[in-house]
Amino acid sequence: MTNYIGKSVKRVEDKRFITGQGKYTDDIKIPGMVHAYILRSPYAHAHVKSIDTAEASKVPGVISIITGADIPEAIAGVPCGWQVDFKNGDTMKEPPHPLLVRKTVRHVGDGVVLVVAESKAIAKDAADMIDVDYDVLDAVADPKAAAQSGAPLVHPDAPGNLCFDWELGNPKEEVAAALAGAHHVTELDFVNQRVIPNAMETRGVVAQYDTAYDKYTIYTSTQNPHLIRLLMCAFVLGIPEHKVRVVGPDVGGGFGSKIFHYTEEALLVWASKHLNLPIKWSSDRSEAFLTDAHGRDHASNAKMGFDKDGNIVALQATTYANLGAYLSTFAPAVPTYLHGTLMQGLYTTPKVNVDVKGVFTHTNAVDAYRGAGRPEATYLLERLLDLGALEMDMDPTELRRKNFIPAFDGVEQEGYQTQVALQYDSGNYEPVLDRALEMVGYENFRKEQAAAASSNKILGIGFSTYIEACGIAPSAVVGALGARAGLFESAQVRVQPTGKVSVYTGSHSHGQGHETTFAQIVADRMGIPLDDVEIIHGDSDSVAFGMGTYGSRSLAVGGSAIVKSIDKVLEKGAKVAAHLLESSVDDLDYADGKWTVKGTDKSVSFGDVSLTAYVPHNYPEGLEPGLDFSSFYDPANFTYPFGAHVAIVEIDKETGAVKLKRFIAVDDVGNVINPMIVDGQIHGGLAQGIGQAMYEGALFDDTGQLINGSYMDYCMPRADALPSFEIDRTVTPCPHNPLGVKGAGEAGCIGSTPAVVNAVVDALWKAGYKVKDVPMPMTPERVWTAMQG
Amino acid sequence: MKHKISVNINGKQCEGEVEGRELLVNFLREHQSLTGTHIGCDTSSCGACTIHLNGAATKSCTVLAVQADGAEVTTIEGMATNGELHPLQAGFKEEHGLQCGFCTPGMIMTAADLLKNNPNPSEHEIREALEGNICRCTGYHNIVRSIQHAAKNMNGVTA
Amino acid sequence: MLVKGNHEFNISKEMLWSYLMDPEVLAKITPGISELEPTGEDSYNTISNMKIGPVKGSFKGKLNVIDKEEPSSFAIDMEQLSKIGNAHGKISMKISDADNGSTNLAFNGDVKLSGMIARMGQRVLSGVANLIIKEVFASLETHISESTA
Repeated sequence: MTNYIGKSVKRVEDKRFITGQGKYTDDIKIPGMVHAYILRSPYAHAHVKSIDTAEASKVPGVISIITGADIPEAIAGVPCGWQVDFKNGDTMKEPPHPLLVRKTVRHVGDGVVLVVAESKAIAKDAADMIDVDYDVLDAVADPKAAAQSGAPLVHPDAPGNLCFDWELGNPKEEVAAALAGAHHVTELDFVNQRVIPNAMETRGVVAQYDTAYDKYTIYTSTQNPHLIRLLMCAFVLGIPEHKVRVVGPDVGGGFGSKIFHYTEEALLVWASKHLNLPIKWSSDRSEAFLTDAHGRDHASNAKMGFDKDGNIVALQATTYANLGAYLSTFAPAVPTYLHGTLMQGLYTTPKVNVDVKGVFTHTNAVDAYRGAGRPEATYLLERLLDLGALEMDMDPTELRRKNFIPAFDGVEQEGYQTQVALQYDSGNYEPVLDRALEMVGYENFRKEQAAAASSNKILGIGFSTYIEACGIAPSAVVGALGARAGLFESAQVRVQPTGKVSVYTGSHSHGQGHETTFAQIVADRMGIPLDDVEIIHGDSDSVAFGMGTYGSRSLAVGGSAIVKSIDKVLEKGAKVAAHLLESSVDDLDYADGKWTVKGTDKSVSFGDVSLTAYVPHNYPEGLEPGLDFSSFYDPANFTYPFGAHVAIVEIDKETGAVKLKRFIAVDDVGNVINPMIVDGQIHGGLAQGIGQAMYEGALFDDTGQLINGSYMDYCMPRADALPSFEIDRTVTPCPHNPLGVKGAGEAGCIGSTPAVVNAVVDALWKAGYKVKDVPMPMTPERVWTAMQG
Repeated sequence: MKHKISVNINGKQCEGEVEGRELLVNFLREHQSLTGTHIGCDTSSCGACTIHLNGAATKSCTVLAVQADGAEVTTIEGMATNGELHPLQAGFKEEHGLQCGFCTPGMIMTAADLLKNNPNPSEHEIREALEGNICRCTGYHNIVRSIQHAAKNMNGVTA
Repeated sequence: MLVKGNHEFNISKEMLWSYLMDPEVLAKITPGISELEPTGEDSYNTISNMKIGPVKGSFKGKLNVIDKEEPSSFAIDMEQLSKIGNAHGKISMKISDADNGSTNLAFNGDVKLSGMIARMGQRVLSGVANLIIKEVFASLETHISESTA
């Protein structure tokens, strides 16, 4: 019997957050702590001719002013964690990313001078007095423009600004031949615009060096403390890993942007020893706009060919992916192995080719943002499907059904082998669409739409049936694809003598509610009260190891690691119980927190067994005392959640203003541990996906200046911009992990964006405007302009 | 030049010396260690720093600390009474109105002001009232539910 | 940032030209300019203060009058540096006869912004810049009517 799994248990962590007791990095104070401010380049591309710090160093309260020249040459910069090679086998271009620039600034916001002072205000005042003389150079911000000959070079050793030129799938000629023979080809040029993650807590770092123990402690707003420690120690600073403690305390949202190892982390750690002072740096919001890794930024062309019945015969996708000026930790993986591999979608397309050029530009780094590559792939596929249906005058839902991969559970039926490397684990795609249509009231809607077509407020409906690869990821597979790390997870289940349980997980919660979901698993599997379980995460000194939280992996990978440790605890506990009950392990049942001899009322409780394990006076011979197990879980495959998202919009023909009237999402994320939390994850993902479609987008001018770098200028959805969401789910368990879970963090963001744009195109098309595309974000001006032809 | 100020915060008279340019949010966080009030932006756009200043929801990044001299301030730390959660705090927990928790204090303070002036807001009114507060995690769906939950409880109806 | 506009003056082209080429007059009538110090023929160092919405700053820079074709056209080449960002640009001025004997001054230019002024509020900035230039001309008109009165 389960007491907790599958129930909407209220979150354990909420109490500290609703009472103002959360502890985020900027809330941390250490005695004697001083403050850092980083003077950043106002230009996208320039040579630094000279830096005059004389006046600034006279400001009372200034402790130190550090430039790139002050940092030892041996510290080359932060590394990239994934290698993607050119299709001809050449290695990707990997220019160094120094902690502070030495000669050339390559994006607005590139760090130039570190000022350390008694307060942040003093550090800022002093930074204002530093004169940096720049020789300003031409810059390029657009990925397609950067790849043209004659474009200003970001790095001299990356000709054509190409980091890599990569390809996946069937041979291009085969795809071209299939397209040439197609009854109809839908083709579109897409821009999947750059968006800015904008976690509400900006990044921050507190670094301290302890001379007594020769040990560093760093608090950083990160999604994966252990990976930061590994990268920083082994590849940046060359300091021993066991002498560094990395803590990711309460973290105010990440959405991918806090996965990566940023320069400020290593810079502060280095400076804390250099100055022998604890130092805090917290990013201003405008600084965050310039230094947090951004997301998306693809310029693509795609062609989808159909036969006369609407069966997809081939897909060719060609993409220029903006990587920014420097390679962020996972940047090369996002437009390749997290994007190209998803081009099969839910469909039986027999020929697929994906061609991706990773391009350097004079902008800050682009890396994983909620969904990371999968939203871009989904956007491309789902836009082509809805547009194809309009062009061929077919129903978009029928077109999808024709092409869906038939149901397979991954147990009785094998997983589905795609043309683009992945093998899907399990899927049953029609039911999510069926349920979504039922919720929409599809037939009625089409009638309403027809009735409104000639009015001033026209209606449209857009679909998106997506698949994603998450539960990232089998280490051997990603290793073969270029990852420089394993993507397993660790968990330690430590049973205390009194039967209370401390669980140490390498996953990191920054809003996902691990302290609750993981505790539900432990309490249920061990048959103990939820209150007897505590989940500990985010501290490299207490947690053995961790690969962190991203790619919707925490439950599928981290949760599975916990299950492995629970199994070990119960296996050993049974030996102790058998001894106490003078029985054999095979004769015992474990349920409701006690071992019972089968067919009798003789039992011993979990608490008695754990006490015995720590006070082993009467104990099985040869068995070690204690009840404490660690496990590492390396998944057998990615997991493949899927779903059907439907948007209904109303467009004011006079102004072009789009109103999102309804949003329906039916997702299948496998088994669900806490429905309330899963729903919350879906809601949040939807808001970000809808945000990209309707509101968000980073804008650069032709000199590489981000021109909407503040909350006054960068539009994000606010409460009054969104409807309440209508969501439901189906359950197709994952066949290869012990919980049968697939992951829910990114689903909402992956599926929703194309549904909204498709709805706008549908509204326009059905009202007589043959508009194929409205560029995102679909502002009233853009919609209106599209309507003018 | 430093200025002496005295502010009643959560029912306690607090003294401090601040620079003229210092913001109230800085006074709360740095001088009083009331770190439940958060800083999410630098343009008074996000609402994470919302507190009550003389009873009205106010973004504490738009007020200089010296302007709060003699005023009454309530922060998220002052919302629970005698260990009892404020109905809004309970509502946010009950309806999963928070994920990362960073915007939550500001959301609760804004919502408390709304419910004081409008005890029975419609969904539309709630969404309009939250217009100055950004949440990046929840899509606002459950924040709206949380406030509705609290409104019901505060009006004596069991939710 | 593109700036573009025009203004009509009730004086001759030649008179307008002489006013526009007088640094003292320019310093006096330009909003925010607190100093205009000649460094050579047609070259000046400038100090100005600006406030645009939440963005306030003190700019130091260089201003050169170039491409002079008396009395019908010239251009201002400028570089303004501040802690809130920098502005580099060239604004062309064309002076032509208008109807009813007055003189038309048309300006057109592109100013590149960087730093905080580039990323905060740039969408409103060209409107502000146009307004400032128009204010300059309005002040000039006042100055002309006062000095000719």
